[in-house]
Amino acid sequence: MKSLFLALIGMAVAPVVGGLVSGLDRILTARCQSRKGPPLIQPFYDAAKLWGKEVTATNPWQAFCAVMYLVAAAASVGLLCAGSDLLLIFFVQAVGAVFLVMGAYAVPSPYSQIGAQRELLQMVAYEPLIILTIVGIRLMTGSFRVDAVFALDQPLLFKLPLLFLVLGYALTIKLRKSPFDISACHHAHQEIVRGVYTEFSGPYLALIEIAHWYEVILVLGLVSLFWATSIAGMILLVAATYAAEILVDNVSSRMTWRWMLGSVWLSGLVLSGINLVWLYAR
Amino acid sequence: MPDTLLFLLIVVPFLAALGCLLLRQEQLRSLIIIGTGGLLTLCALMLMASTPFSAAPKSILGISVSMLIQAADFFLLGVIGYYGYKHRNLLIQGLAVLQFVLLACFETFMVAPGKEYATFYGDTLSLVMVLVICIVGSLICIHAIPYMKEHEHHLQLEGSKQPRFFAIMVLFLGAMNGLVLTNDLSFFYFFFELTTICSFLLIGHDQTEIAETNAVRALWMNALGGAALLVGIMWIYSKTGTMDMQAIISAGPKAALLLPLALLCFAGFTKAAQAPFQSWLLGAMVAPTPTSALLHSSTMVKAGVYLVIRFAPAFAGTFLSLGVALAGAFTFLAMAVLAMGQSNGKKILAYSTVSNLGLIMACAGINTKAAITAAILLIIFHALTKALLFLCVGTIEQRIGSRDIEDMRGLLTAMPWTAVILVAGILTMILPPFGMLLGKWVAIESSSQQLFVIVMLALGSAVTVAYWARWAGQIMSVSSLGAREPELQPMLTRGPLAALLGGAVLLSALWPWVYNRVAGPGPGLANPASAAVMGFMIVVIGSGFLWAVNAMRQARTARMTRPYLCGAPENVEGTYVGPINQDMPVILGNAYFTSLVTEDRLTCWVNMGAGLMLVLMIGGAL
Repeated sequence: MKSLFLALIGMAVAPVVGGLVSGLDRILTARCQSRKGPPLIQPFYDAAKLWGKEVTATNPWQAFCAVMYLVAAAASVGLLCAGSDLLLIFFVQAVGAVFLVMGAYAVPSPYSQIGAQRELLQMVAYEPLIILTIVGIRLMTGSFRVDAVFALDQPLLFKLPLLFLVLGYALTIKLRKSPFDISACHHAHQEIVRGVYTEFSGPYLALIEIAHWYEVILVLGLVSLFWATSIAGMILLVAATYAAEILVDNVSSRMTWRWMLGSVWLSGLVLSGINLVWLYAR
Repeated sequence: MPDTLLFLLIVVPFLAALGCLLLRQEQLRSLIIIGTGGLLTLCALMLMASTPFSAAPKSILGISVSMLIQAADFFLLGVIGYYGYKHRNLLIQGLAVLQFVLLACFETFMVAPGKEYATFYGDTLSLVMVLVICIVGSLICIHAIPYMKEHEHHLQLEGSKQPRFFAIMVLFLGAMNGLVLTNDLSFFYFFFELTTICSFLLIGHDQTEIAETNAVRALWMNALGGAALLVGIMWIYSKTGTMDMQAIISAGPKAALLLPLALLCFAGFTKAAQAPFQSWLLGAMVAPTPTSALLHSSTMVKAGVYLVIRFAPAFAGTFLSLGVALAGAFTFLAMAVLAMGQSNGKKILAYSTVSNLGLIMACAGINTKAAITAAILLIIFHALTKALLFLCVGTIEQRIGSRDIEDMRGLLTAMPWTAVILVAGILTMILPPFGMLLGKWVAIESSSQQLFVIVMLALGSAVTVAYWARWAGQIMSVSSLGAREPELQPMLTRGPLAALLGGAVLLSALWPWVYNRVAGPGPGLANPASAAVMGFMIVVIGSGFLWAVNAMRQARTARMTRPYLCGAPENVEGTYVGPINQDMPVILGNAYFTSLVTEDRLTCWVNMGAGLMLVLMIGGAL
């Protein structure tokens, strides 16, 4: 019962925090580029404005996919807050990711379809890394559950430093930050317009924005597990990681999918392999 | 009671096959097939009540069972030799002669009458296999009735070859039932060879040049597996002095038995088309679709994984077990990568079958109780969904004349009903809360102690999602709500599709119950997808699904727009105004990564890698 309660609280609070994080991201990014940036709650204004727009669609299936993406993203955050199984959380967020791709595929538009294919490649790149990180956590705690992480008396970061780096790769892709913002990015100035988002508009785009906030919270929640022994440590680690993501986003340019797949699989597998061998050797 | 059920499950299909051959009238044949399917399903369900059981029927219709099987063994080898001679294949002839001589020596000089034991035995594993064979197999046979009619109409044959086709299909079900219910190694060998012959005949059914080439390839690869199985059986008998499978398995791991068990695993790998033997199953897709559906889902390849899972307790904790896990995981990854480069729908299905069977093999090799449970659950859900997908592709191919997934772009307009079923089938393959994914989840959790296995599973799992999602996505790729014609299909086509999808969804919803039933009582088995977790998922994702359906309904009334073409002027939908004012069509296509994963370039390396894995597996038993 308690875990159900936690799940519901998480699902209610996450979009608010996620929106604020997104607003902060925009301000910090603007400051990096010597701009002032929008107000902190600009993302909420944006979503509200989109919600009020006329409903247009090219294929009704888009609406189905947008809703499923939001529901799955919210459910994965709920499961994380309930302290559930990490692999389950990962699989449920994959439901959202698949439906986003299906939604982009639903319209025969070159931009969204190229975006969809690149999004699939991004999934191919980051999914194994997240699974291996979860396996690393399992080897430390003896369980796949999130609550087992909180039972540890030492932060995971000390034992899984390389896997934390690996997770960083995955997060950069998941947060759509350069150099991995190849399927869609926050600004519609890409060679494929807005990639997977191109064909969503009005209320459907608002749903997708909110789903993305959930995903940001999920990602930051995973990061916070690496210093689960103290609240201050969790906040500090999350803040530092997010600041590093913004920095990387601003100093690097977008790369190609080949480079992404090659570099992420190679460095990700080597780093996680080394880290996992330590753990098996214990 | 078990004796009667055994008779009905194993012998009745043989009689039905005879009926199909002799009564050459179409309605009568359909009646026999539907009747046999219904009877088998009923018997399989009744068997649930009486497992575990063991039985030792002495005679059937007055003839001694073991005499019958011995005679039939030599007959089958004769048939294999005949086809080897007919197709001028020295390898098959050699393998047939070798097995004939070995079997003759074995039966005359080695086998001594020992103490009595149960020749048939049924536990949860056999029960699951029987249910899969009887229910999924029967649905495939029923779907084949309208399919084969259309197929022969298209080929414009002079005389119908359907009696032979359906006879073999039904016979196959009986052979599989025998294979999974027997407890006697010599019976097992007979049924194993019988499935080889059946699949050879089914693959070569259309008698085109390519069909015969591929059928011969399937025959020599499986005959090789058969030879390995026979040598393994003789070896085991010489060490233990018994053919009683349960006695051998319950004795636990023994160093002296590892090498013959490795040969048994090798036989399982050939039958399950694990790399480097995947080519026979890929070649099988030249046959009419029901054949592929049957071989890929409920029969043949499942016999291979059944063999390895059945004997898994006898090599638990040995290096052989690790070898099986590594080889399986390697196949899982390599075949998923090869599927990524395919646009031929049937090839994607074939690679995905081999890949999923690799996952099941990996589970058998991990060899903990949870992993074996995962393997059995994966067998159930894979059979349901893979049969569904093959039957969908077959139905689509008969309508649009292509099996290329590029031609299925926007299939929603042409075949709305089948398109939705196909997409739903694909999603049950990769997403929670459906059984395949839950099975994979248990598999990953139980392999977390094996570094190389888990890395390959993690990589393969990601690639698997990508090639399925790509296919599902483009089926729904439709630009506007044109007038959609309602899709008309015979009841016998539509019924099996709906039943298979319904079965996969229903069993997924019942996951906690199915898991407990398969795992049985015992310590150390926490089902990660417990009733509470499944409840949460079903409520949240289920209500989300209802919301999404509602949103889709409302979107139908919304203003419809055209796809975004970056402001290029458009006169006609789906085109833009190009040079010299011509309407240029917007042509979409998927990337198939031909520079990275082409079949002809990669297969050679994959086979080499897989061959090394097999050497590792067998070498580990030395």
